[in-house]
Amino acid sequence: MFFHIVLERNMQLHPRYFGRNLRDNLVSKLMKDVEGTCSGKHGFVVAITGIENVGKGLIRDGTGFVTFPVKYQCVVFRPFKGEILEAVVTMVNKMGFFAEAGPVQIFVSNHLIPDDMEFQSGDMPNYTTSDGSVKIQKDSEVRLKIIGTRVDATEIFCIGTIKDDFLGVINDPTTT
Amino acid sequence: MSLVTDSPVSSSGSDDFADFLDDHLDAESDNEDDNGEAKDEFASSSSSSSSSEDEWEDDDQPVSKRTKISEVEIVQNGDAAEGSASHVIVEQKLEASSSASVSKNECTHPGSFGKMCIVCGAQVEVSGVSFANIHKEILIGNAEVARLRDTDTKSVLCRKKLYLVLDLDHTLLNSTLLSHMVPEEGYLNNQIDSVQDCQNGSLFRLSFMHMMTKLRPYVHTFLKEASQMFEMYIYTMGDKAYALEMAKLLDPKNEYFHAKVISRDDGAQRHQKSLDMVLGEESAVLILDDTENVWPSHRDNLILMERYHFFASSCRQFGFGCNSLSQLKSDESEHEGALAAVLNVLRRVHHIFFNELADQTGRRDVRQVLKTVRKDILKGCRIVFSRVFPSQFPAESHHLWKMAEKLGATCATEVDPSVTHVVAMDPGTKKSRWALENDKFLVLPRWIEGANYLWQRLPEENFPVKSNEPPKSEAKVKDPDA
Repeated sequence: MFFHIVLERNMQLHPRYFGRNLRDNLVSKLMKDVEGTCSGKHGFVVAITGIENVGKGLIRDGTGFVTFPVKYQCVVFRPFKGEILEAVVTMVNKMGFFAEAGPVQIFVSNHLIPDDMEFQSGDMPNYTTSDGSVKIQKDSEVRLKIIGTRVDATEIFCIGTIKDDFLGVINDPTTT
Repeated sequence: MSLVTDSPVSSSGSDDFADFLDDHLDAESDNEDDNGEAKDEFASSSSSSSSSEDEWEDDDQPVSKRTKISEVEIVQNGDAAEGSASHVIVEQKLEASSSASVSKNECTHPGSFGKMCIVCGAQVEVSGVSFANIHKEILIGNAEVARLRDTDTKSVLCRKKLYLVLDLDHTLLNSTLLSHMVPEEGYLNNQIDSVQDCQNGSLFRLSFMHMMTKLRPYVHTFLKEASQMFEMYIYTMGDKAYALEMAKLLDPKNEYFHAKVISRDDGAQRHQKSLDMVLGEESAVLILDDTENVWPSHRDNLILMERYHFFASSCRQFGFGCNSLSQLKSDESEHEGALAAVLNVLRRVHHIFFNELADQTGRRDVRQVLKTVRKDILKGCRIVFSRVFPSQFPAESHHLWKMAEKLGATCATEVDPSVTHVVAMDPGTKKSRWALENDKFLVLPRWIEGANYLWQRLPEENFPVKSNEPPKSEAKVKDPDA
């Protein structure tokens, strides 16, 4: 799920950036530092959308670096148990398949793939129904339900299922 | 189930509901009686013991039945929307079915991904095999591995294939660090094939890894042919990055290996290889490797390869004083080299396994087939060794003796008329002279080793025992295990 929230961060800035563009420098450094990272509490920071407030800078003794407390608005993405996500399949193997929804890696085990879909090995491993009408392979887009999440300091792992109504392939790269 | 079919769907609905409720309550009380004991057992382990009474009765019913019931309910609810009682029941039922689908007590936790069960999503610690070659966080329990192995083997056998595990270094290719190259190899820099053209090329310079790699002659044909008969894995003691890079050179179109590349970083044990990560029954796996010791528990699956030393650094590493192939500006023969010989063996094994043993589907074992094929090589030879073993050494346990027996020859300690070959280092011994007098073959021990590596009886004339050459060192060169 995406959230638009306000976060705060203390930014250390080198004295060489002080000047007319201090604020711009601060913002671009913030973007570089924060976007794409992951925190256990909020999930992935997808994008910074605005700066709420830059607090008073505090000069550090000895180094000349200045610490600014910055409040910024950002879009974060955090998967939840029970959430329905759309994801792109990245790898298919005997144990199931891996899919990615943006930065989140999701594993769908073969226990959670409908029983009528069977694994086919070969140069393009895939899960296919017996009549061949539905196929999950690399680059397929699937709709899945998250049944478990673990959020690390830097990564988020999810377990997903497509064994439920209205879940499964939503776009097959081979047919388009 | 009878509920679904028996209860007439009418528009009034409320009567049906009464019936349904009655039936259902009956069913519940039945369950309660049946499962009284079980419930007590579970109650201690249940996390929600206070509300367990209701939940347990729900959980004891098959999921499908409950789902069906709730479907019926929904239909009826739609018909009799005004009935508020029905609404409540629908909600209860849906709740019950959702609680059953995530019921943790039924899950056996067959494996984990990022420390979560791959089936129920709960946080668990699973002990089992780490499939780090697929994803570093994947861990599959032993029972599940056995199940996967079983189903996978069946499907592979159905496609008339077996498994083949390939080693990289000294088996399919030879690599050296650029800094380890000797001046005589400088000419190689002019012969490098571009990495884009790895389908035909065989010599590559991987500057970003500071390496030069030479593929063994015939390897392209070998992989192409073998892929028709085998599911192929790469298993190397090199690190992951190196393994993937080599896989790219060998398999530029990614037809053969896919994610089936196992490297040192993935294996559990150092200095050893195991078939844990190979999803095939051991009775259907062949291994191609140049080192026997890394496969302590799968020697029977192993086809030992003669080491491929192209670069001088590789020869030095194994302590050979001779010039390497690169220094001699030569290479293994394309069509009579080790890979071509092994491919023939693989073809034979495959043929025997699927054609000659087609009727014994359940008992076929590739290890037995391999043994039979090997036993044919020196069939009918009766070998006597002369001054090959130290005099006090128990001859039967010498590796040459064992090797000869594995190759189908019979060994003897004394000469008699049935002997066909005398293996000796020195033509001056009594047995050697006897061989010459009686017109028997007199060969070097290399003859046996050669047969072992090339899987065929080599012409004896090529291994004459001469008195003037220092035979010891000659034998050493060809016998890395000695």
